[in-house]
Amino acid sequence: MAVAAAPDHLFHLRNNFYLGSFQAAINNSDLPNLSPDDAVERDCLVYRSYIALGSYQLVINEIDSAAATPLQAVKLLALYLSNPHDKESTIASLKEWLADPAIGSNALLRLIAGIVFMHEEDYIEALKLTNAGGTMELHALNVQIFIKMHRSDYAERQLRVMQQIDEDHTLTQLANAWLNLAVGGSKIQEAYLIFQDFSEKYPMTGLILNGKAVCCIHMGNFDEAETLLLEALNKDAKDPETLANLVVCGLHLGKSSSRYLSQLKLTHPEHILVKRASSAEDSFERAVQSVA
Amino acid sequence: MLTKFETKSNRVKGLSFHTKRPWILASLHSGVIQLWDYRMGTLIDRFDEHDGPVRGVHFHMSQPLFVSGGDDYKIKVWNYKLHRCVFTLLGHLDYIRTVQFHHENPWIVSASDDQTIRIWNWQSRTCISVLTGHNHYVMCASFHPKEDLVVSASLDQTVRVWDIGSLNKKTASPADDILRFSQMNSELFGGVDAVVKYVLEGHDRGVNWAAFHPTLPLIVSGADDRQVKLWRMNETKAWEVDTFRGHMNNVSCVMFHSKLDIIVSNSEDKSIRVWDVTKRTGLQTFRREHDRFWILAVHPEMNVLAAGHDSGMIVFKLERERPAFAVSGESLFYAKDRFLRCYDFSTQREAQVIPIRRPGSASLNQSARTLSYSPTENAVLICSDVDGGSYELYVIPKDSFGRGEMQEAKKGLGSSAIFVARNRFAVLDKGNNQVLIKNLKNEVVKKSGLPVPTDAIFYAGTGNLLCRSEDRVVIFDLQQRLVLGDLQTPLVKYVVWSNDMENVALLSKHTIVITNKKLVHRCTLHETIRVKSGAWDDDNGVFIYSTLNHIKYCLPNGDCGIIRTLEVPIYITKVSGNTIFCLDRDGKNKAIVIDATEYIFKLSLLQKRYDQVMSMIRNSQLCGEAMIAYLQQKGFPEVALHFVKDEKTRFNLALESGNIQIAVASAKEIDDKDHWYRLGVEALRQGNAGIVEYAYQRTKNFERLSFLYLINGNLDKLSKMLKIAEVKNDVMGQFHNALYLGDIKERVKILENAGHLPLAYVTASVHGLQDVADKLAAELGDDVLPLPTGKEPSLLMPPTPVVSGGDWPLLRVMKGIFEGGLDSIGRGGVDEEEEGAEGDWGEDLDVVDVDGLQNGDVAAILEDGEVAEENEEKGGWDLEDLELPPEVETPRVSNNARSSVFVAPTPGMPVSQIWTQRSSLAADHAAAGNFDTAMRLLSRQLGIRNFAPLKSMFLDLHSGSHSYLRALSSAPVVSLAIERRWSESGSPNVRSPPALVFNFSQLDEKLKAGYKATTAGKFTEALRLFLSILHTIPFIVVESRREVDEVKELIIIAKEYVLGMQMELKRREMKDNPVRQQELAAYFTHCNFQLPHLRLALLNAMTVCYKAKNLATAANFARRLLETNPTNENQAKTARQVLQAAERNMTDASQLNYDFRNPFVTCGATYVPIYRGQKDVSCPYCTARFVPTQGGQLCTVCDLAVVGADASGLLCSPSQVR
Repeated sequence: MAVAAAPDHLFHLRNNFYLGSFQAAINNSDLPNLSPDDAVERDCLVYRSYIALGSYQLVINEIDSAAATPLQAVKLLALYLSNPHDKESTIASLKEWLADPAIGSNALLRLIAGIVFMHEEDYIEALKLTNAGGTMELHALNVQIFIKMHRSDYAERQLRVMQQIDEDHTLTQLANAWLNLAVGGSKIQEAYLIFQDFSEKYPMTGLILNGKAVCCIHMGNFDEAETLLLEALNKDAKDPETLANLVVCGLHLGKSSSRYLSQLKLTHPEHILVKRASSAEDSFERAVQSVA
Repeated sequence: MLTKFETKSNRVKGLSFHTKRPWILASLHSGVIQLWDYRMGTLIDRFDEHDGPVRGVHFHMSQPLFVSGGDDYKIKVWNYKLHRCVFTLLGHLDYIRTVQFHHENPWIVSASDDQTIRIWNWQSRTCISVLTGHNHYVMCASFHPKEDLVVSASLDQTVRVWDIGSLNKKTASPADDILRFSQMNSELFGGVDAVVKYVLEGHDRGVNWAAFHPTLPLIVSGADDRQVKLWRMNETKAWEVDTFRGHMNNVSCVMFHSKLDIIVSNSEDKSIRVWDVTKRTGLQTFRREHDRFWILAVHPEMNVLAAGHDSGMIVFKLERERPAFAVSGESLFYAKDRFLRCYDFSTQREAQVIPIRRPGSASLNQSARTLSYSPTENAVLICSDVDGGSYELYVIPKDSFGRGEMQEAKKGLGSSAIFVARNRFAVLDKGNNQVLIKNLKNEVVKKSGLPVPTDAIFYAGTGNLLCRSEDRVVIFDLQQRLVLGDLQTPLVKYVVWSNDMENVALLSKHTIVITNKKLVHRCTLHETIRVKSGAWDDDNGVFIYSTLNHIKYCLPNGDCGIIRTLEVPIYITKVSGNTIFCLDRDGKNKAIVIDATEYIFKLSLLQKRYDQVMSMIRNSQLCGEAMIAYLQQKGFPEVALHFVKDEKTRFNLALESGNIQIAVASAKEIDDKDHWYRLGVEALRQGNAGIVEYAYQRTKNFERLSFLYLINGNLDKLSKMLKIAEVKNDVMGQFHNALYLGDIKERVKILENAGHLPLAYVTASVHGLQDVADKLAAELGDDVLPLPTGKEPSLLMPPTPVVSGGDWPLLRVMKGIFEGGLDSIGRGGVDEEEEGAEGDWGEDLDVVDVDGLQNGDVAAILEDGEVAEENEEKGGWDLEDLELPPEVETPRVSNNARSSVFVAPTPGMPVSQIWTQRSSLAADHAAAGNFDTAMRLLSRQLGIRNFAPLKSMFLDLHSGSHSYLRALSSAPVVSLAIERRWSESGSPNVRSPPALVFNFSQLDEKLKAGYKATTAGKFTEALRLFLSILHTIPFIVVESRREVDEVKELIIIAKEYVLGMQMELKRREMKDNPVRQQELAAYFTHCNFQLPHLRLALLNAMTVCYKAKNLATAANFARRLLETNPTNENQAKTARQVLQAAERNMTDASQLNYDFRNPFVTCGATYVPIYRGQKDVSCPYCTARFVPTQGGQLCTVCDLAVVGADASGLLCSPSQVR
């Protein structure tokens, strides 16, 4: 049987990772006959899945100093996320590595750096590292940064680059959905269709459910959004985005969402919704003062 | 050419289709006439009476007759029902070339080498006319399908048209036969009956065939000059229109197609050619390797043709008749003529959707072959054979459903094209064995090589393809480039997926293969005739399919059966319950209701749903040999038992299922030896000794019975058997029993009685019965045998059985199932009671936190000047033009050191900022998080100074304005601004105002709750609710002006109630001040309440005043109460009583500050009446009125605004700003 192009062994693994089924990615990572490069990529995906699941220490412990650069980068990410109070040293070593011409251009290192700088809200720095592209993930991150910067025009250009590379790639589709959601209007429906496609093609994940729910929220369909989110909550009762979106939904449906909010405050005190809420209280007090 | 059927035989010279049945007559050079069923492919009959070749043959339109003419100069009329020739018409003097029945009159026209054409009456069996004029062999002659004309062709190079009108008139006239006969005789030579109307000259050689057009005044002819000529005629003349050249040898036959605008001709050059009548061009040529063609036949009604050649004949179609269709949910899309049409299964209505390209004028078989539909994009892909295989992509416009212009389709080459995802389709590129994945703009997105040499692709779920090669199919994942499934099959023509995409049916010409989604084989069905179409009965997982003449089913285990027969082929599109939807060959939708009982029954049996089986057995007429045989064969004899009345069958089934009880009952009924015997055998097998004994007894089978007792150790019965044997004088039986019993005396006695004295002696002496032995020895005398010596004799005693008597213990397996089944009959789907989903709507109402009420003393009054300034500012805001241009700023961070090439753009404007720029609604600003501007707006518009009660509203609005999207894992979450009033048509990047968490309908709910609480007397609760309404309204945004008025109305209502509740609560606090109490109760009645509440207030005030002896005032309340026509009789009664009491003594005990005759409003803070004409100030927001001293204070009713402050008024709709 002559297959025109070599089968993509990591396809499922990558897909699982992108679509947020991290446990599935970890569980199904035992793939035979991988090339060394593929094996490193596999390990990276597995460790990044652990990071996504919050098992930072496992990653830090398992990756020793002899591991390949991408894995080291993953370890840095774990270090950065695990220790919010000592970011400086992590960022310092990150910068040091980036300056090293031997490894500085490694795609995964740049990606991780991009993510870290994004957390630092240093979008310019993040863009500098990611804009050269190289992997679909870098492009996708780029799209995300531009969305964060409210520059959907730039995001769209990046997306077009991705579409030229592989329009049907999961990340292209995802990035397309993000952008659609960011620009709103009729595009919301397209975003919904993209998530719908995912849900038909792949097993349901919290990410897909959340994506659909967010689309529903933006279409004003809060009842359906709530149903989807509750389904997502069944899958992962601690998922911060599910909780956050449930809070939003609850507000719009006139239902009490205080429990979700306190749950979110407990488990993810750093979540953007929590931060926004607390800063809103401050600004309320300030506003009262200023108006008075 | 689509060959439907072929025969191998001697040369075929004549052909004729039956009008109704799928039959064709073929007359052979060998003299045989064959009758074929071309659909089933079977030879029905053969007629062999002609001597020599039979060249002409023709079916009658309606009678079971056909006519044939041969080289034996005979015309024979046959009845195919009687399988014989009815009579023979003689008269021709040479070979007969063609014969034909008239469509109406009882006539036959025949053409012969004797240069004449004869018309015969087959009822009177006479020749009624001889048409002379041709001066060479007449090769063919035929009636016009409607008019009184005959066309003939002859080797004299002419085609002649004959007028037989006079003949017709003659038969129509009531002239008697004799007269006509004599007339005919006289005219036979005069030839006035039928005259030549036109002689068509033009062919250079002998003409072999000429034929009329079925409707138009056209004639087509074919001749040995290798040409086909088209002629036209009118009332007065006929002329040659055109010549079709192309045949390489003599044209033997030519005809018009009955439905299409084409001419079909065949020739001795071994080809059949198809010509376009209008364009006068050759369309197609079909060649045979070795066989010259001799004859053609066109079916008068259906789309089939036949051609006879040197070694047989073929039945064929020129065009596919299967309509291309695709099913999507409740809709069926199909191509018909030049339109895409849509049929709704639920309403059974159809509609034209869009025009598509006109099919095949350039060539045949150009119409849509397959159709693929993408429901979300509303796009249709139509594949056809145009240009050797091409597709067209149409996007159905949403609004112009049913009409609209012919849109320019996006086209491309490729033998098959299907949607593989919502907005992707795959096109097969056979040459390179790859598929092109294209988007809806028809641009190639990706190319992917295929794992097997593929000649067609089919849908196989999103992102997958089912690739067909000659002898196998594979499912190929386009993204992973992996083969997911692989199966050897005959050439697959159609693929039908079940709704859940778990099962697929692969239809080939004569086989159906059912597999799962990974192509794991489930079962294969073979049909003897063509499989046409199929669909899944998704409720049951049964595949329903149609063959040429049946609708059949196929169960998951491969069992199949006929549901019903079909007159004409259909194409099943969907199965829904017991309705089968299908398209027929004319592209009409039909719904056929079928009886699904049989297959549902079999399916239930298969799935072991015995309860359902039992209920079906009880409730439906499911019976028949076939069903019993099926049940037996499938190992369900016990089920079959329930169907059977016939005792013998019942007995057999009972034995098979081991149901001994029923078997016994049946055996009793039947009561013959054989059945008892078989019962005994089965009972023995089961160890049921009682039944065995019974069976043996019934058949009087004593030996077996004895043996049974022996092995059971039943010695009593055994000795009884001994006696029975004795009575019956059965010596052998007696001896056996005695032996079994070990009864030596008896044995000796039997032997002795039987005359076997030596044996008796030996027996007795061996077992030591000395006296008997001696007696016998005496009797024997000299014949006493010497006993063998040296051996120890012993008595043979049967061993004691381990289990004696009774039946063997049995595990009752076969019961249970059906016992259980019987109990649960009629247990349908469990009716799930809808839970009262309403719940407690009071839950919704704790949004507002009233705790902040007390610290509302802040009197934050902006200076007038500032307000004015802001007003100016507001005027300056251009609300329309402030759109965010997507590319406002050019990146300017060029002096960045690190990267010289890349210039990062400056951040864009957050959506929340756009919101605040473009709106003057406080709610929008609050949602955007700009609380200070929101507060300024509220303060300016409504005079609100106290924001503490609004805190939670502010926060909720802000929290509810964004949703959260996890993008890349571990990267920060993206927050997305939620916009108000989303619509499908909203253009992207144009920002709508924020979605707000409060809306008017919520307030409506709250209002109702407030009313309810009021009625229930829960004033604190009611106050809380009405206050929360007042506190929410500043953030309500509505669309229309009308709604704005409603909101304003709601403010008034809420204010009235808040004021009322506050007064009432105050009154209750003042137990020690009865005057004030009465006053408050009185004012309370002047709040603008709902009628029931007003009644309660009046009742309350009346009671209070009455108790305080203020009878006049109480009477006033009583009167007012009665004026409201209270529905509650008690209220009315009390009121009347108070009125009566008061009339006796119209006085007030104490003076109240209350003059009900003078209209007034109540001050919201001091609760004193402000009579008309008195000065007052009011709250700019809630409009509560206050005595002037309250000016500048915080409104005590709404607790938000400052009394008497300047305000521009409520702004709650963008329509107010426009």
